[in-house]
Amino acid sequence: MNNSLRLIGTAAVIVILASLSGLASEYMLGIGFTLFMYIALAQSWIILSGMTGYISLGHVVFFGSGAYVFVLLWGLVPVWLGVAISGLVVGIGALMIGYPVLRVRGPYFVILSFGLAELVKNLVLINEARMYMSLRPVFGAPPLAQLYIAMLVLAVVATALTYWIRRSRFGAGLRSIREDEWAAETIGVPASRLKLIAFALSGLIPAMVGAIFIMRSGIFQPGDAFNPIVSFTIVTMAIIGGSDDAAGPLLGVAFLVILQELLWANWPEIYMIILGVLLIGFVLFAPGGILGWCSKNLSRSKKNAA
Amino acid sequence: MDILFSPQLLAAALITGVLYALISLGLNLIYGTMRLLNVAHGDLVMIGSYIAFMAFSLFNVGPLISMFGAAIICGGLGWLAYRSVFQNLLSNSEILARLEENSLLLFFGISVVVQNLVILFFTADRQGYEYLSAIVEIGDVRLTGARLAVLIVGSVVSIAAVLYLRFSLFGLAINALIQNRDASAIVGINVDRVQMFSLVIGFGITGLAGALISVLEPITPVMGFPYTMSAFVVIILGGLGNLWGGFLAGLLLGFLEIYGVAVTGPEWRSVLVYGIFIGILIFRPQGLLGRGRVAR
Repeated sequence: MNNSLRLIGTAAVIVILASLSGLASEYMLGIGFTLFMYIALAQSWIILSGMTGYISLGHVVFFGSGAYVFVLLWGLVPVWLGVAISGLVVGIGALMIGYPVLRVRGPYFVILSFGLAELVKNLVLINEARMYMSLRPVFGAPPLAQLYIAMLVLAVVATALTYWIRRSRFGAGLRSIREDEWAAETIGVPASRLKLIAFALSGLIPAMVGAIFIMRSGIFQPGDAFNPIVSFTIVTMAIIGGSDDAAGPLLGVAFLVILQELLWANWPEIYMIILGVLLIGFVLFAPGGILGWCSKNLSRSKKNAA
Repeated sequence: MDILFSPQLLAAALITGVLYALISLGLNLIYGTMRLLNVAHGDLVMIGSYIAFMAFSLFNVGPLISMFGAAIICGGLGWLAYRSVFQNLLSNSEILARLEENSLLLFFGISVVVQNLVILFFTADRQGYEYLSAIVEIGDVRLTGARLAVLIVGSVVSIAAVLYLRFSLFGLAINALIQNRDASAIVGINVDRVQMFSLVIGFGITGLAGALISVLEPITPVMGFPYTMSAFVVIILGGLGNLWGGFLAGLLLGFLEIYGVAVTGPEWRSVLVYGIFIGILIFRPQGLLGRGRVAR
């Protein structure tokens, strides 16, 4: 009963958000677009990093590669097919590099993920310089209302995927890797395979997000598409939200997107400083994020009442 | 191919190598004794550079003197960081369980804050100054006085630091802590004190290196990150916590980078450093000189 009510409520919210595409102003659509974009990115990040504990500090590599594949295909295939292909290409690429990359554990993986993103960025930069392309314009992209809907779909799919994985046998396997990979392998969890699948799934959606983002910005520049700030924002959002559940990042994303909207254009340094302070504060004082902090303190007050 | 055998290139590689050795020594101390992954390490280089720059432009004090100021100020920051945050952190079991990841995120936050504060105060523009720019000739090699000074000071400080840490009583205590933290406490080493001084010395050496670097390249608030990456490459290459291995690996990376760029071209510089880094992590995570597995 409760579950079906919740399902209906969620569906209603999604329908309302979708119908806004015809009603809301360009400005509001833009904010909604950014909101959905980061929801999709943060949820994808959770699939790998939240569940397995392999913290990726370079998730922008999927976003940027997706954007790059899409831009290379621009004009050659229909727009939405291009989006799907870029997701697939990056997903397959993730499967191919995943095995050696995921053998690197713990803090080394964190640094490796960042280095990998920077390496790919520099390779794309060199490739573009060879082709005498410092930037690539994307002309004739679909209107913002359509991009808004597309991003909403990705956000919903990513959230549903995270929600489902979290409750599946697959998700239980992933979380056992986070708690103790050796022990998990010992009791027969196929750790390498699960990690690899999580890695590919975690890259698939950000690649499509990157492709759609390029249509919105109208221009592809390697420095922007592979901007490490995107990775950092994703990590901070997920950590502020806390928990490996689908609800966690929603809180963090909403909070940071509003902050970004208020500060980014005029005071980018202040935005970054607040981001940094939040990250420090949450790691030191609320390692479980907003969600973890709430549940901890609520249960404490319940105990006190009883 | 002639250029590959020129003494000029050799000197350039030595200078880069010595600086890498110096910077990564600080990182190695901090990681080795406390398992803190200091991804803000390069920002200390940046702070050291700005201190030298300010000293020169405000008081007309050259970097060979202000480097001591940079070392003291950065060492002071290390003391402050230890007393205010890490002392508590290292005794908090909840955080200690995932110390490396948590310290990484923490230092990452610190790095973002520091970089942006510096942008607010000094703008994001490149800055620099002229110091000892006359050319000195030694045999076939032509160097600016500043580069020669960096080479000499860098070599002296890094070798002195490695020797001190290897042979002094305090250095032995640090080595003991690197090998086994709990056991060192049992044999009567004051772990708290050694940790604090490791952080102070590590930060101080890096600040000094920053002051030296400020005469070689224009300084910006975001100049630090490549040094963080290089320092991590070096300490993984040399074996985590292995100070002597780190010194050799610093020189090696300097050579790889300078000669690699001479062969391929300047646009490949980042690809080279990141490529070496990724290759090492994937294929030889215990380092070139390392024995056995990386401590987890």
